Amino acid sequence: MLVKNRMTRDPVAVSPDHTLAAAQQLTQEHRIRHLPVVSGGELVGILSDRDIRSASPSTVATDEPGRAEFLGRTSVAEVMTREVISAGATDTVEDAARVLCRHRIGALPVVDAANRLLGILTETDVLHAFVEMLGASNASTRLEVELRDRPGELARAVRIVGEDLRLNIGSVLVPPMRERGNKTAILHVATIDPREAIAALEAAGYRVGWPSLEADLRRPAEGPAR
Amino acid sequence: MKSALIWDPALTGYFFHPDHPFNPKRLELTVSLIEAMGLVDGGDHRVVPPRAATDAELLRVHSPEYVDAVKRMSVRCAAGEAWEWGLGTDDTPVFHGMHEITSLVVGGTIRAAELVMGGEVTRAFNVCGGLHHAHRDRASGFCIYSDLAAAISWIRETHGARVLYIDYDAHHGDGVQGIFYDDPNVLTLSLHESGRYLFPGTGFVDELGDGEGFGYSLNLPLEAFTEDESWLDLYRKLLPEVAEAFRPDVIVLQSGCDGHTLDPLTHLRATTRLYEETTRITCEVADRVCGGRVVATGGGGYSVWRVVPRAWTLVWAALSGQEAPDAIPFGWLSRWQGESPDLLPERLRDPEGAFDPVPRRDEIEATNRRTLESLRRQALPLLRGWGLGF
Ligand SMILES: [Zn+2]
Repeated sequence: MLVKNRMTRDPVAVSPDHTLAAAQQLTQEHRIRHLPVVSGGELVGILSDRDIRSASPSTVATDEPGRAEFLGRTSVAEVMTREVISAGATDTVEDAARVLCRHRIGALPVVDAANRLLGILTETDVLHAFVEMLGASNASTRLEVELRDRPGELARAVRIVGEDLRLNIGSVLVPPMRERGNKTAILHVATIDPREAIAALEAAGYRVGWPSLEADLRRPAEGPAR
Repeated sequence: MKSALIWDPALTGYFFHPDHPFNPKRLELTVSLIEAMGLVDGGDHRVVPPRAATDAELLRVHSPEYVDAVKRMSVRCAAGEAWEWGLGTDDTPVFHGMHEITSLVVGGTIRAAELVMGGEVTRAFNVCGGLHHAHRDRASGFCIYSDLAAAISWIRETHGARVLYIDYDAHHGDGVQGIFYDDPNVLTLSLHESGRYLFPGTGFVDELGDGEGFGYSLNLPLEAFTEDESWLDLYRKLLPEVAEAFRPDVIVLQSGCDGHTLDPLTHLRATTRLYEETTRITCEVADRVCGGRVVATGGGGYSVWRVVPRAWTLVWAALSGQEAPDAIPFGWLSRWQGESPDLLPERLRDPEGAFDPVPRRDEIEATNRRTLESLRRQALPLLRGWGLGF
């Protein structure tokens, strides 16, 4: 999944000569938190709503009229971050997410080779992309399969479900281990009736969780209908 | 009050193959139990045969390409083609004559709607209907055509009536929701086991509808292992609020009973009490807001011998306003016990304490209450505001 498929194109931007008051109005109007700063077609900075809020005159004019006057006479260029961390359109969303995490920032302007602004990718865009990646796009049942940490374990499980039983597997996730030992694969399988898949996996030695392998979510023992 | 049970033995032809869980035996068992208990009489509570749905009726809710494909594959299945339409899978295999028999199932639910909307009966029950996973152009989860959507759109077209669709099958009613997702005249309300683990993986609170229909798709996903008490509590709180805000002219009810604790395809822990009570609550609300009109169908239910006939007999009794005694007639038991792999229960209702309580009950109930609050917070303001024409 590439950044260009998830970013907002032609984002709202400001010029370095804009006042902070004008910039603040833009963030409020468009309900956004980040404004790329563009000059002569090139990205020269970024301004967040937090930058605006925390900007203050060196003098002690902290009352409302004083603050309005300050925002009205201060330019974006005076407050913006000049060392912009940006992304390329063909970076992957995973890369972008890593950059957002590492630098603890909320948005990445997306630029081309000539540093022209193409779009913006926010943490919300990344979150939406990941939610899509986690789920299956088509109707499916979610199974948890415990894998011992050795080669071929996942492949064998997938082969049983996808090849032997010819069920369509919509997605496979193998979250990293919290401690050394077994892993859990999460399979989205396109069927309303996973019993055969569960039985086949168990017959092949796997532990299968449906709804889950978590102790809290195991199926309680059934009393018979009297 | 008059009621009609839509039935004809030909409906058992909706049959994939002998090992398939969607087994028409459950229909035979249900109807024979209703008959054995004297709950149909040829007078006020009579059996009415279905009719086949017309192409025009199917095309109100399905794409022409899809209906053509089903017709073609109904005669001869071209390998490879079926997959595109959600057919030819383990869940929904292709079978000879599937177009004709599914049209009869669809026509059965439309027939039920005709009887109710025409005032001949107040309630009708098409026990073989309830194919709530069928989409506009795709089969899914045992469902080829959507009898529910076809009946709802028949009601819309013929009577211009506002329809409240209620679905308490354990799976999310994704097909019906999808077909009416942008329609403010059809409110879909589905209560089901959360799609977090269960097929089809949808039906979350934030699926509220689209465009004009925003606020007219409601979903109450229940935690795995939810029991009667919590489920009924939520339903009692939610349904009257929704019905009074929306003011429907008729309720269409999908009463799948696969949320029963013995059902092998889900993790809910309902007893037969749930099906009797929810149907009763639904009928009371219908009496208050829409002249009692309820068009009901069956749906899922995979504990074929021990649960489905009892659950749907209770649904029928509640719909038709009849008292059902608790003892299952000996004649019915002896007729079927030989064929049944399990010992058939002798009581219509699961006795109190028949199943062990779920260990995490408090936690499950608390989570369900939070889900209800979240749904009410998001959906009711929309529904109230728009329903009253502000
Ligand atoms: Zn179901």
